[in-house]
Amino acid sequence: MLFQDIIFWVLAVTAIGAALGVVLIRDLFRSALLLAVVFVAVAGFFALLSAEFLAVVQVLIYVGAISILFIFAIMLTRNVREGNLPNRLQLPAVLFPALLLAALVVAVVSSDWRPIPEEELGRAQLTQTQAVNIVAEETLAAEGFSTAAALENAQQAGLADLLIGAFVLPFEAVSLLLLAALIGGLALARSRGG
Amino acid sequence: MVPLVYFQLLSAALFIIGLYGVMARRSAVLIIMSIELMLNAVNINLIAAASHREGWGSFVNFDGQIIAIFIITVAAAEVGLAMAIILRMYRNRATVNVDEIDLMKW
Amino acid sequence: MSLHDLYLISPQLTMAGLGILVILLDLATDRKGWLAAAALLGLAAPLALTLVQLAQLTGIYGPALDNLTPASSILAPSLSVDRFGLFFNFLVITAAALVILASVDYVKGLTRLQGEFYGLLLLSASGMMLLASATELITIYVALELTTLPLVALAAFLMNARSGEAGVKFLIISAISSALTLYGMALIFGFTGSTSLEGIAAGLGQATAQPNLPFGSYALLVGVALLTVGIAFKLSAVPSHMWVPDVYEGAPTPVVAFLSVASKAVAFGLLLRIVYTAFPEMGPEWGILLAALAAVSMTVGNLVAITQSNIRRLFGYSTIAHAGYILVGVAAMSQTGAGENGVAGGGGFATFGPSSVLFYLAAYTAANLTAFFAIIAIGQRIGSDRIDDYGGMVRRSPFLAVALALALIALIGVPPTGIFVAKIYIFTAAVKSGLVWLAVLGVINSVISAYYYVKIIRVMFLQPIPEGGAETATGESGDEQPEAPTDQPSKLTNLAVALAALATVLLGLAPGPLLQAAESAVTALSGVALR
Repeated sequence: MLFQDIIFWVLAVTAIGAALGVVLIRDLFRSALLLAVVFVAVAGFFALLSAEFLAVVQVLIYVGAISILFIFAIMLTRNVREGNLPNRLQLPAVLFPALLLAALVVAVVSSDWRPIPEEELGRAQLTQTQAVNIVAEETLAAEGFSTAAALENAQQAGLADLLIGAFVLPFEAVSLLLLAALIGGLALARSRGG
Repeated sequence: MVPLVYFQLLSAALFIIGLYGVMARRSAVLIIMSIELMLNAVNINLIAAASHREGWGSFVNFDGQIIAIFIITVAAAEVGLAMAIILRMYRNRATVNVDEIDLMKW
Repeated sequence: MSLHDLYLISPQLTMAGLGILVILLDLATDRKGWLAAAALLGLAAPLALTLVQLAQLTGIYGPALDNLTPASSILAPSLSVDRFGLFFNFLVITAAALVILASVDYVKGLTRLQGEFYGLLLLSASGMMLLASATELITIYVALELTTLPLVALAAFLMNARSGEAGVKFLIISAISSALTLYGMALIFGFTGSTSLEGIAAGLGQATAQPNLPFGSYALLVGVALLTVGIAFKLSAVPSHMWVPDVYEGAPTPVVAFLSVASKAVAFGLLLRIVYTAFPEMGPEWGILLAALAAVSMTVGNLVAITQSNIRRLFGYSTIAHAGYILVGVAAMSQTGAGENGVAGGGGFATFGPSSVLFYLAAYTAANLTAFFAIIAIGQRIGSDRIDDYGGMVRRSPFLAVALALALIALIGVPPTGIFVAKIYIFTAAVKSGLVWLAVLGVINSVISAYYYVKIIRVMFLQPIPEGGAETATGESGDEQPEAPTDQPSKLTNLAVALAALATVLLGLAPGPLLQAAESAVTALSGVALR
C-alpha cells in the first residue's frame, strides 16, 4: 500500500508544519490561515482512515465555519500587527509539553493496542465506509462479504442509526449545550446597556 | 495500510504543539486556536483507534467516529462562546492579551 | 425513544425545559420579579419526578430495583437511573433552589438579561443532573460541557472588567482541561475499545497487563492521569486549580456559590462512578493517585488561603482545601473497593469511604452556601468584599455576622455542625483503609484552616467599623463591588441564609437520615463493583 503511505507522509508533514506555524508565526492573521491548512490536512487523515463522513463534516464545520470565526475575531480586535507575542512563561511552556510528549510516545509505543490484524483490516475499513452507505453491494461482495449475514451486519451499522440509537442521550444533551452557548454568547455580546 | 502507531504519534505531536501554543502565547484568540489544534489531535487519535480495532459485539467500531462528531459540535459551541467573551473583553480593556489583564494574578 | 425512556430522563428534561421557559418568560413579561418565582416553583417538577423515581427504586410500587434503566432501553449504555444519581439530583435541585432564592435581590441589580441569568443557571443544573447519572464517556463529556459552558457565560455576566477577566480565565482553563480529558478518554477508548464504563471494565479484563506497572500499561497510566487532571478541574483540586481564586473573586457571587457546591459535588459523583464502575480491579492504584492529589490539594489550599485579604479569593483557596479533604474519602474508597477485604457481601465496610464522601458533600453544600449567601448580603450592604471592611459587622448586621460565623465554624469542622461529622467519617474511612498518614495530614490541615477562618470572625466581632462609614464604600478604583450598596434589607437573601444555616446545624445534630441515604446511594454503586 505504497500510495496510502505517500499520502500519509505528505499530510503529516503539512499538518505538523502548519501547526508549528500557527503557534510560532507572529502575524495572527497568517496563523489563522495556517490553522485552516491544518484542518484540511486533518480532514485528509479522516478520509485515509475510512471516515469519509467525518472528513466532510470537518471541512464544513472547521474549515468553513470555525476558521472564519477566528479570522473575524482577529480582524475585529485589530491589533493584528503586534500579534502573537510570547508570554513570560517560556520555560514551563517548553518543559511541560516536552515531558507530556515523552510520556505519550512511551505510552503509544510500549502498549499493546491489539489492532485488527493486517489481512482483516481492509474489510473492517470498508465496513466503516459503509457506515454512511456509500459502498455498492458488489464492492462488499468482492471484499469477501459473501454471506448474507455479514452483508447485513455491515449495512446495519450506520452512523445515523447510532446517533439516534445508542447515543441518543448525548445527541439530545448536545442540542441543549448548543442552545446554552447561543444564549450565553448572545447575552454577552449584546451592547453594554445592561 | 498505515499502522495505528503512526497515527497515534502524529496525534501526540499535534496535541503537544497545541499545548505549547496555549501555554506560551499571550493572545486569547491564539490560545483558543491552539485548543482547537489539541481537539483535532484528539479526533485523529479517536478515529485511528476506531478504524484499527474491533468493537464490543461488532466487527467494527464506530464509537470513535461518534465521539469525534460530538467533539466537533461542542468545539463549535465553545468557539462561539469564546469569541463573545473575547470581544467583550476587548471592548472593556482594548486588549486580547491574557497577561495584560492583571487586575488579578494569572 | 419510548415513553419510559423519556420518564427516565424526565428530571433532567424538566430542569432544562424550565431554564428555557424562564428565558421565554423574560421576553413575555415586564415584571421581572416573576422570573425568580417561576424558576423556584418550576423546580418542583424535577424534584417531584426525582421523588417518583426514588419511590419506584425503593419498591413503594412494584418490585425494588437497583437501576430503573432496563437493559433493552436505548438509554441503557449511557444512563443509569440509580440511587447514586438520584442523591445528586436532590443535591443539585436543593442547591439551585437556594441559590435562586438568594440571588433575587442581586439579579435586580442587572437591568436586563435577568431571564438569561436564571435560564443559564438552570441549564447548567440539568447538565449536572445528567452527569451524575451518566455511565458512558461520550455522555459524560457532553454533560461536563453542558455543566461548564453556561457557568462560563455567567462568570462573565457582569459589565465590569473583573468579571470579564474571570470569564476569559474560566473559559481558557476549562477548554484546556476538557482537551486533556478528551485525550485521556481517547487513550482509554483506544486501549479498551469501548466508551461505556462497563465496557471499559470488560476491556481491561482482556488486555494483557504488564507486571510491576501501575494500571498495567503505560497507555492506561497516561490516559488515567490525563482524565484525572480534567476531572480535577471540576473538583477544583490541585493540578488544575489555577482558575479557582480568580473566578471566585471576579464572577457574580451567586454564580460562585452554585459553582462551589453543585458543580464540585457532581464531579465527585462522576469520579466515584468512574473509579468504581470502569476500574473495579484497580482500586489500589487509584488510591495512591488520589491520596497524593488529596494531600497536595489540602495543603496548598490552606497555606495560600492564610495570606488572602479578599474574602471571595479566600473562599477560593478554602474550596481547594475542601476538595482535598473530600478526595481523602475517594482515595479510601478505592483501597477498600479492591476486594482485598472479605466482607464484600456485608457491604458496610466497603461502602464506608464513598458514603462519607456523599455526606461530606451535602454538609459542605449547606455550610458553603450559608457563607456565600451571607457574603452576597454583606456585599450588598457594604459594597466591598475585602476582609478588613468586615470590621464591626456584628453591630451593623448581627444576623449576617452570626450566620457567617456559624458557616466558618462549620467549615473548620467544629462539633455542632455537619462537616464535623463528615470529617470524622472521612478520616475514619482513611484510617480503616490504611491511609493513616493522610488522615493525620487532614487533621493538621483542619487546624491550619482554623487560623484564617477565625481571623474573619475576629474581624467581624472584635474590630471597629472601618473609617469612612458603612455605606460609602470608597475602595480604590476598580476595586468596588458590581452591585451598589443599598440600605434595603434583602429579605429573600436573609431567608436563604437562614435556611442554609439551619441545614448546616441540622446535619450536625441529626446526621442519621442523610447518612443512611448516602449509604443506600452508594450500595447502588458498589453493587456493580463488588459483583
